[in-house]
Amino acid sequence: MRNPLGKRLPRELKKDFKKYAVLLILMIFMIGIASGIYVGNDSMMAAIDESYELYNIEDGHFELKEEATEDLLASMPDNIDIYEQFYYDVVEDIDRDGNDDATVRLFRIRTDINRACVNEGRLPEAEGEIAIDRMHASNNDIRIGDMISCGGSDYEVVGLIALSDYSTLFKKNSDMMFNAVDFDVALVTDEDFDTVDGTLIYQYAYDFRTAPESEAQEKEWSDDLVERIAVIAATGGYTSDKDEAEELADNVDEWTAYLEDIEAQSDELEARGEELEGRQAALEEHYDLVMAGDPEWTAEAQSLQDDAEALQADVDALAAEQDQIDSVIDSLEALEEYDDDTNELTDFVPEYANQAIHFAPDDMGSDKSMMSVLSYVFIGVLAFVFAITTSNTIVNEAAVIGTLRSTGYTRGELLRHYMMLPITVTLLSAVFGNILGYTCFKNVAVSMYYNSYSLMTYKTIWNADAFIETTVIPLILMTVVNFIVIYSKLRLSPLKFLRRDLSTSKRKKAMRLPSISFMGRFRLRILLNNLGGYIVLLFGIAFVMLLLAFAIGLPETLDHYKSQLSDNMISPYQYILKDYKDEDDQYITTSDDSAERFSVTNLVTIDGVYVGEDISVYGFIDDSTYVSLPSEMADDEVYISRPYADKFSLDAGDTITLKERYTDKTYTFKITGIDEYNGALTVFMKNDSFNKTFGNDEDSYSGFLARNTIDDLDQDHVYTVVTREDVMSLATQLDHSMGSMADYLAGVCMIMAVLIMYLLTKIIIEKNAGSISMVKVLGYENREINSLYILLTSIVVVVFAFLTSYLSVAGLKLAFAVMMYSMSGWFDAYISPLGMVKGVAILLAAYAVVAFFDMIRIKRIPLTDALKNVE
Amino acid sequence: MSEETFLTVSNVCKAYGEGDSRQEVLRGMDFTVAKGEFCVLLGPSGSGKSTLLNIIGGIDSADDGYIAIAGDKLRDMDEKALTRYRRKHLGYVFQLYNLIPNLNVKENIEVGAYLSDDPLDIDELLNTLGLWDHRYKLPNQLSGGQQQRTSIGRAIVKNPDILLCDEPTGALDYNTSKEILKLIEDVNQKYGNTVIMVTHNNAIQDMADHTIKLRDGKVRKNIINENKISAMELDW
Repeated sequence: MRNPLGKRLPRELKKDFKKYAVLLILMIFMIGIASGIYVGNDSMMAAIDESYELYNIEDGHFELKEEATEDLLASMPDNIDIYEQFYYDVVEDIDRDGNDDATVRLFRIRTDINRACVNEGRLPEAEGEIAIDRMHASNNDIRIGDMISCGGSDYEVVGLIALSDYSTLFKKNSDMMFNAVDFDVALVTDEDFDTVDGTLIYQYAYDFRTAPESEAQEKEWSDDLVERIAVIAATGGYTSDKDEAEELADNVDEWTAYLEDIEAQSDELEARGEELEGRQAALEEHYDLVMAGDPEWTAEAQSLQDDAEALQADVDALAAEQDQIDSVIDSLEALEEYDDDTNELTDFVPEYANQAIHFAPDDMGSDKSMMSVLSYVFIGVLAFVFAITTSNTIVNEAAVIGTLRSTGYTRGELLRHYMMLPITVTLLSAVFGNILGYTCFKNVAVSMYYNSYSLMTYKTIWNADAFIETTVIPLILMTVVNFIVIYSKLRLSPLKFLRRDLSTSKRKKAMRLPSISFMGRFRLRILLNNLGGYIVLLFGIAFVMLLLAFAIGLPETLDHYKSQLSDNMISPYQYILKDYKDEDDQYITTSDDSAERFSVTNLVTIDGVYVGEDISVYGFIDDSTYVSLPSEMADDEVYISRPYADKFSLDAGDTITLKERYTDKTYTFKITGIDEYNGALTVFMKNDSFNKTFGNDEDSYSGFLARNTIDDLDQDHVYTVVTREDVMSLATQLDHSMGSMADYLAGVCMIMAVLIMYLLTKIIIEKNAGSISMVKVLGYENREINSLYILLTSIVVVVFAFLTSYLSVAGLKLAFAVMMYSMSGWFDAYISPLGMVKGVAILLAAYAVVAFFDMIRIKRIPLTDALKNVE
Repeated sequence: MSEETFLTVSNVCKAYGEGDSRQEVLRGMDFTVAKGEFCVLLGPSGSGKSTLLNIIGGIDSADDGYIAIAGDKLRDMDEKALTRYRRKHLGYVFQLYNLIPNLNVKENIEVGAYLSDDPLDIDELLNTLGLWDHRYKLPNQLSGGQQQRTSIGRAIVKNPDILLCDEPTGALDYNTSKEILKLIEDVNQKYGNTVIMVTHNNAIQDMADHTIKLRDGKVRKNIINENKISAMELDW
């Protein structure tokens, strides 16, 4: 026979329909979102995984300063296949109004590697056609058929695409953040590509001929590859062995010095020969005097003979070295054939380190863990709500439980009975939540990703993780929490239940309360009697406040960061030159009054919270008008920027060691101060020290800092210009991809706050229905009852709101810091006092709605409740 | 009625509280009850009759002495064994019915049937209890008497060896009380259960086979009633 108690479940659900409906809605909503994010995320991840093969994504790429000769390419390591993927970074003028709107990276259509996924339209087939990144197009409202200008030429947009090596639009791999608003990638036909006016970047993609067996091996091979390619490029393909190259460089220096020495000797011998010839001529003119025995000329004749013999000896000595000289010359001549092939490795990015390929999947991975934590906390709160509800039911049904226990029902049977409802509701929520997750919320999640990244098309796949996260874990959470609470209640003896004596406390007397007004003490008693409910309310409010802190704090953080950046940039423009001297070996200068020479290079961290973090090292002239450094600084003394200090917990007096990204060369600096510049993680030093440290010429520099655009620089000499927009790309992109979510999140928080507080206050009022009815019988008016119950809860909510607002800000800062630790760059979460007040106000507004319903609920409690049988 | 001793109450003592507030409720009670007997524990308020019933029911324990059912001493049973004992042998009827509010009459009786491997036929029992027409009603749609009938149905549906009744008519009017007593009497006669009923109503002793009169925690009188009358003949 089935346990007849099971028949109570549908009736319980029906009886408390509103309460369970709210719980169901909340859980379905939460599980639906979690399921949607999991399914959307994993489906998308599966598409990304497949894309490696489908679109033949590179194993890495490198850039050379000049186009590689065929010989150089032929001498590249034989474990890789190399593919040209040259590009131009040119100005994109979306509305063709003559103003620069973005930078577009133009490629030829790539057929062998990093192929494009066409999201809409087609690839260009004729001149004047272009296919651009879908995300960038969406951000800038560009549609198929629109005309845009790239690098001064007009193109018709015929396709919206996702380049498989640009799922995230990072302009440079070292950028803090991608930027799909101001940066675009695009494909044009070969004919159009060949006519682009701009600086061609010689980028080569590579694929390992045999796939590495593990990530460790891939890294090992890549580390080896960067060294070999750098050596091959530098030696024009002479060798790929670093030691051999260094030995060769030493030899060339030695040989050159030797030949220079020989040349100098030869010149000297020639000069001496000429001098002797002059003297010989003079002697011949005075031949008669010599013959006459003139002592002066006789001595000269003797001296000339001695010098001539000495010269002959030196010439003979030099001639004896002829074989060696010939050998050295042969060696140098042998090297000459590599001269045309020499080049310079300017960039090397293995696939696993390529943010443009990896940022999206990495970021999507963190979404899942964030979602998991949120759903655990939320389901945990709801589990406690259920536990409190059941606990109250047990109190109300104490006599029945006592009777059932007396007639032989086991504690286990009753435990299972009371746990059935929360578990059933959780199961129902899991079923409906997952249905919503796989249909509606999956699309929300996917569109969120499509709104941030340039992703290829995907297929929805069944997801075991989603099942565990949205069904198994909520069930476990619900079961464990309810088991603990219900079991502790049911531990009492049947007799205690029959006597309705369910207190587990050994306290015999009621707690003494301070001598305040009667109503005050009454409220305190209510608080103490409903402590469990209020504690769950605290957790519920804390949860909502944390979400609100994200909703309000995120846009505020970005605005704060942007405004700080605006106020606090090194300079509005940084012009980086290809070289500080022109073709005629003349210094490149400008007449711009605001321009100031500076130097910059990039190093990476080798330890601390983020190994491989890019650190920009700047050198400033003495008395720089842009950055204020002490007049006296030793060569190894530096200032670091505030974000660097914060992220790596550094302070004045500490020592830092940084290394060049592609070599083992390290540099150690002593920090003497912190600069409040917060645009990036930087090291500031004197330009002279910079040049000494990095072995540059004494008067060298990288470019100019300027307050405005510099017009008198030859664009051919300019490598790049860093503007305010570049520095702010992190904030711009975060703003774009998360900003719209903030309002949505605030709305969700408000609804969630209403529902959670509705549930918890309902439970508290229901538990006290008998007492409320009794005071009504005694003659209390609703107004007075409200002042007891509603006012108390209001006070508690206000106190909790303020209390948790501080905790939620701390939570926001912590979560933000954790996020920033895992990515390049740094800035703090910020929420203004007004923002905090806004959070509290939203919560209190939500409570006002709840309090209104609570007042109605109290009004509806009948007087007969106090008089009727306790069942 | 059998003369075989079924229930033994031997020197049972029970006190509550400690120190000054210690109160001895049972002060060494001794008596036996035969199988199938209708036994009434009669006494005024505070005489210890409910406490004794709870100890017999295994939901309270004696400080000293013991209770034995068919020779098995309750004090030797652990909690699981006590639950098994209650499940297999006991039916409970309380003054305030303690029905499950959101189960109907039939379902409330099924709650008891669930505990038995060989329960009585529920439909037949509903007829016996006079509840057939009310079987789909919820407790709050019933009168006090109907609720108590349901409670008795729940207790006896598993055909327990002992039916413990704690003031089953305490909350009922005169006529309804007599109806309920008649029902318990019928059940006792029909199914042969041993009935132990706690009451402070002197009149009820006339329908019992055996009356134990209690006062101040002690057995004052142990009366075997040779001339018992039917419940419907009772008057008070």
